[in-house]
Amino acid sequence: MTALIETLNPGFVLVLAGIVGLFIPMQRVRQGLMVIAPLVGIYMLTQANQSMELATAHVLGLDLVLYRVDSLNFIFGLAFLIAALLNAIYALHGDDKLQDGMAMAYAGAAVAAAFAGDFLTLFVFWELTAVSSVFLILRAGTRAAYFASMRYLAIQILSGVLLLAGITYVYQASGALTLQAFTSLDEPGALLVFLAVGIKAAFPFLHNWLQDSYPKATVVGAVVLSAFTTKLAVLTCARLFPGFDILIWIGAVMTVFPVFFAVIENDLRKVLAYSLNNQVGFMICAIGVGTPLALNGAAAHAFAHIIYKALLFMSMGAVLYRTGTAKASELGGLYKSMPFTAVFCLIGAASISAFPLFSGFVAKSLTMSAVAHEGYVVAWLMLLFASAGVLEHSGIKIPYFAFFGHDSGKRVKEAPFNMLLAMGLASAICILVGLPSFFGLGYGWLYNLLPYPEVANHYEPFTLGHILTQMQLLMLAVLAFILLKRFGLYPPEKPGTILDTDWAYRRLGFGFANWAGTVWGKAGPAMTRVAGLLAQRGYDRIEAVFSPRGQLSRGPLTGGMAIWTAALLGMAMLLSFLTVQH
Amino acid sequence: MSDTSSPERDASGRFVKPDAPASPRIDDGEMHPMARLLFGWVSAKATPGIFLWGTITICAGLILADLAVHRHEYLHFAEFNGFYGIWGFGAFALAVLSGWPLGRMLRRSEDYYGEGDTTPQDAGVEDDQ
Repeated sequence: MTALIETLNPGFVLVLAGIVGLFIPMQRVRQGLMVIAPLVGIYMLTQANQSMELATAHVLGLDLVLYRVDSLNFIFGLAFLIAALLNAIYALHGDDKLQDGMAMAYAGAAVAAAFAGDFLTLFVFWELTAVSSVFLILRAGTRAAYFASMRYLAIQILSGVLLLAGITYVYQASGALTLQAFTSLDEPGALLVFLAVGIKAAFPFLHNWLQDSYPKATVVGAVVLSAFTTKLAVLTCARLFPGFDILIWIGAVMTVFPVFFAVIENDLRKVLAYSLNNQVGFMICAIGVGTPLALNGAAAHAFAHIIYKALLFMSMGAVLYRTGTAKASELGGLYKSMPFTAVFCLIGAASISAFPLFSGFVAKSLTMSAVAHEGYVVAWLMLLFASAGVLEHSGIKIPYFAFFGHDSGKRVKEAPFNMLLAMGLASAICILVGLPSFFGLGYGWLYNLLPYPEVANHYEPFTLGHILTQMQLLMLAVLAFILLKRFGLYPPEKPGTILDTDWAYRRLGFGFANWAGTVWGKAGPAMTRVAGLLAQRGYDRIEAVFSPRGQLSRGPLTGGMAIWTAALLGMAMLLSFLTVQH
Repeated sequence: MSDTSSPERDASGRFVKPDAPASPRIDDGEMHPMARLLFGWVSAKATPGIFLWGTITICAGLILADLAVHRHEYLHFAEFNGFYGIWGFGAFALAVLSGWPLGRMLRRSEDYYGEGDTTPQDAGVEDDQ
C-alpha cells in the first residue's frame, strides 16, 4: 500500500474519482468523494520522492514515465490539488453529477499531466483536460455556452494535434520521448510544441478561446476552469522553453493588452478572464528570462495566482449565483447583502494587485526583480504598467462595481455556506503565503517549495525599498481612480459586446464561410445545369448526325457513304500492301 | 354621497395622513447585520472626502519617505524619487482614459454574435432548497 501511494500519480486518483463520481446518484456520497480525492492526492504528493521516475510503463516499444516529481512540477501539482479541493467545496451546494465528475477528472488530468515524465503521457492528459473541461461550459445550458464550448473544444483539440505532431518530430529526431528543454525553436518539432503550448497558455492572438468560454461557463465551472489549463501550459512552457527570449516579449505584451479590454468590459467574469491572461503574461515573461530567480518567480506567481484567481472567480460566481448576473452595469451595493463575499473578494483583489502582506506581492516581486536584474528595461516598464492595470481591473473594478459603487437595489441572500467556506480557505492561503516568514508559514513556506529554493531563500521581498515602491505604485494608482471618478472621467459601465480579435473568425471567418456556402448553394445547381445543358446539346448534335434517324442515315447518301467507305478502305489496304511489297 | 372609500379617510370617515410614496432610497433595514458592522461607514456622507484626503496624505507620505530611503535599483532610472508613483498614476490614468475611445470603437450590441444570453442555468438562485 505504501509503495502504491509513493508511486501512483495523484492525478490518476482524481481522474478515477471523477469518473466514478459520474455514476454516483447520491449527492452527499459523490461530493464526499470529490472532497476526499484531492486530500488523498495531496497526501500522496507529500510522500513522493523527488527527481525519480516513480512509475514507468513500456507500451508499443515506447518508454513512458507516468509519474515524476521534481522541484518544478511539485508546486504546480500542489496548487492544482489545492484548487481541486477548493472547487469541490465550492460546488457542494449543487447536485450535478456530470459537473462534479468532470470537474474532478479535469483537475486530475491537469495533475497527471503536471507529473508526466514523457511527451506521450503529457499529450494524453493534455487532451483529457480539453475533453473533460468542455462539459463545464456546456452545462451552462445556454445557446451562447453551446457555441462557445464547441469553439473551445476545437481550439483545445487543435493544440493537442499540434503537440502530437511536434512529438512525432521529436521522437523521429531523438528516438526518445523524454520531456526536456528545447535549445532552439529550429529543433525538429519545437515550433509545433511551442504553438500547442501557446494556444493553451493563451498567447496574444491565440487567447480568445479563454475570454470566449470562461465567462459563459456555469457558476462552478468558471472557477474550476480558471485554475488548470493555462497553468499547465505555463508549467510545460517552463519545462520545455526556459530562457527563450521571444517569451519575454510575448509575456510582456500579454500583460499589457488585456488591461485595455478589461477596462471596457462589462461582464465581470470576462474582466477576470482578461485579468487571467494578464497574470499568465507575467509568468511567461519570467520563463523567457529563464534565470533561477525568474523561474522561481513564474512558479511562485502560478501558485499564488491559482488561489487568488479562483477566489475572485468564486466571489463573482457567488454574486452571479445569487443575483443572476455578473454584469457591472446591473450590479452595485451588494456589500449590504453579501458582506462576507465582499470581504473575500477584497482579499482576492488585494492579493492580485500585490499589496504587501498578500500573496501576489511576494510572488510578483521575484519576477519584477529578475526582469530588472537582467536589464530588460522595456519589458520591465511594460510589466510595471500592467501592475497598475491589474489594480484597475481586478483590484478596483471587480469589487467596486459588484459590491460598492452605484447601489443597484439588489437585496439577496449571502452566498451559501459552502461557497463562503471555499472562499474563506482561499483567502486564508492568500494571506498566509503573503505574510513575512513565521513558524514555517508566511512567504518562506512558499519559497521553500520553489524550483530553486536556495536562490529564493536569498531573496527578501519585505525590504523597505520594495514595500515603498510597491505602495507608491498602488496608492497613486488608487488616487488616480478616486480623481477620475470624482471628475466624471471614469468611463461608465455599459452593456455590450466588446470586439476582440476573435471577430476575425466569429464574424469575418463565419461570414465568409456563410457567404461561400450561399454562393455554392446557388452556383452549384447553376453549374450542374450548365454542364447538363452542354452535355445534352453535345449528345443531341451527335444523335442528330449519327443516329439511325440522323443526317448520315438519311436519303441516298447512305448507300453512297457505304460505297465511299468501302472504296477508301480498299485504297488504304492497297497502298499498305504496295508499301510492304517494296 | 360622501367619499368614505377615499384613501384619505379611515373607516370612520376621519381624515388620515396618506402614506408617503415609496422612497427611492433603498431601505438599509434590509442590510445584512455583518454588513452594518463591517461596511457601515461606506454610506456615510464623509466617506468619499476622507478617502480622497486620506489617499492624498498617504501618497504624499510615500513620496516624502522616498526622499529618506536610499533605494538600490537594478535599473538606475527607477531610483528617481517618486518614479513608481508617477508611473502608477500615469499607467492607471492612461488605461482608464483609453476606455472612452476604445469603448466607442469596440463596443457593439450584446447580441452582436447572436449569443446575447450568457446567464448559466445554475445562476440566479435566490434561496437555497
